[in-house]
Amino acid sequence: MNRKYQGVHLVIKHAVLLLFSGLFLFPFLWMVMGVFKTNNEIWQHPHQLLPGSFDWLRVIKSSLTLGFEGYILNSFIVGILGTIVMLAVVTFFTYALVFMKGRYSEVIFFIVLSTYMLPSAVTYVPSYIILANMNLLDTLTGLMISNLPNVFAVFYLRQSFMKTSVEYLEAARIDGAGHLKTLWHVVLPLNKSAFYTVFVLTFVQQYNNYMWPSIMLKSQDKYLISQGLRQFFIQDGAYGMNWSEVMLASTIAIIPVVVVFMLGQRWFITGITEDSGIK
Amino acid sequence: MKKETLKSILLMTPFIVPLILFWLIPLFMGLMISFTDWDYISPKFNWVGLYNYRDLFTDPDFLRALTNTAVFGAGTIFFTIALGLFFAVLLRKHFRGSRFYQMAIFSPWITPAVAVALVWSWIYEPDRGYANFVLELLSLEPLGWLHSSETAMLGIVIFTVWKSIGWTMLFYLGALERVPRSAYEAAYLDGCNPLSQFYHITLPLISPTTYFLVIINLIQSIQVYDQIQIMTQGGPGGSTTTLLYLYYEKAFQNFQMGPANAVAIVILLLILGLSVLSSRAGRRYIHYE
Repeated sequence: MNRKYQGVHLVIKHAVLLLFSGLFLFPFLWMVMGVFKTNNEIWQHPHQLLPGSFDWLRVIKSSLTLGFEGYILNSFIVGILGTIVMLAVVTFFTYALVFMKGRYSEVIFFIVLSTYMLPSAVTYVPSYIILANMNLLDTLTGLMISNLPNVFAVFYLRQSFMKTSVEYLEAARIDGAGHLKTLWHVVLPLNKSAFYTVFVLTFVQQYNNYMWPSIMLKSQDKYLISQGLRQFFIQDGAYGMNWSEVMLASTIAIIPVVVVFMLGQRWFITGITEDSGIK
Repeated sequence: MKKETLKSILLMTPFIVPLILFWLIPLFMGLMISFTDWDYISPKFNWVGLYNYRDLFTDPDFLRALTNTAVFGAGTIFFTIALGLFFAVLLRKHFRGSRFYQMAIFSPWITPAVAVALVWSWIYEPDRGYANFVLELLSLEPLGWLHSSETAMLGIVIFTVWKSIGWTMLFYLGALERVPRSAYEAAYLDGCNPLSQFYHITLPLISPTTYFLVIINLIQSIQVYDQIQIMTQGGPGGSTTTLLYLYYEKAFQNFQMGPANAVAIVILLLILGLSVLSSRAGRRYIHYE
């Protein structure tokens, strides 16, 4: 069609998208800049985005005194170890559901799926009591175990497993492979991108998780990052006295999850291209 | 044959046991507790029948929480879905920079609500914050934002929409990819303009995704908690106390387990009722291939 018209169209599109991207990214930009600002600079009027100076030494020094390593480590334990165990459990379950169809497979899937609609809040008080009876209250193990029944993961993996062509499975069976071998050598490689996707999404969710961990984890050395951040924010009494420190703490809380997501992003793409190669 | 069944049960058990332990039993227990006056500390409790429920529906705090949740839900669901679709349509074709824009819009979703809510409470600061600074630039009246009972919920809604658009956009990007090219070609030959093409072809073909997103956003917005705990603690004057926040206060601050679980069951019934309702409404508009 008309070249000139298309050019104008493109410029408008980019202008709109740039404006909105700016709006979306602004809070992050402001936060990171706030790290380098003094409190006076943060409150000055009219606002200035850039700080007077980038004092890296001060920022690094105060990052080390925050004491967030423990919270980040806890979040990583729950986000990585918890997610890997969850994925294993869900994979076994979904494999049996999809490839070992029995009389009750459909019924079981329906029951599992219907719990996806339920608000998790309904389970908080009873789960608290159950964990207390198992002596797992205030432990990361308890938190990870209570996160195991991840219905979203079942739903997502099932969608992906069902697209796996039966020929590969039959070939494996003819070669004498048992279920575990078939799962490891056929189903796993063929559904790589689904696994990466579920892993990254669950990691992000667990790392950021706030309400349930803050109900069941009570000792400060067990806190996840969101809880630790909240603790840091309220411990000085007056709400939000030292904004420069608050910005620093928020930035440090955000960096790990962004890094993991960026790494996962690369895997998504590889996974997706590999998938389309098979089809 | 029997051996095969045994194997399948063995593979399912590690998932089924925690599901029963942390979903099915708690669901049943929650329902039971909602009929009692249990206070968590004492081992004794009395059955009070439907008293907790009757009490809730005459309690102004609960009724206000119900309204607040409805306002929050309506606002966030509509804008999250409409804007998510808008950005997905703009970004559906690959072009230079499209990946950057996608990441920019998606980035709020991956970050911890607690961390970004702290930054936003600075933005909403009435005297020196950025929100009023922008309003000033547009020569509009400054608002009290989180400090005023009239605008606090607006502030929470804007924050939540900002945080969740990316997730919705991602699902719509996938859905738009799956619309067959032939559908557009037919419309093009019939001389459809882009707008009516969007309305008559794209919208009906992606309607299952829209339905899915409405349900998901419904479930999430009825359970909003994190940002409210950080930004307003339900205030000022209870104007941002939602159902889940009320539940938290009742259960873990006042230890009124009966009324708290009654609130949880009401949340459950609301979600079930609204999803049935929207699937009824959807039957007329959702287009399945």
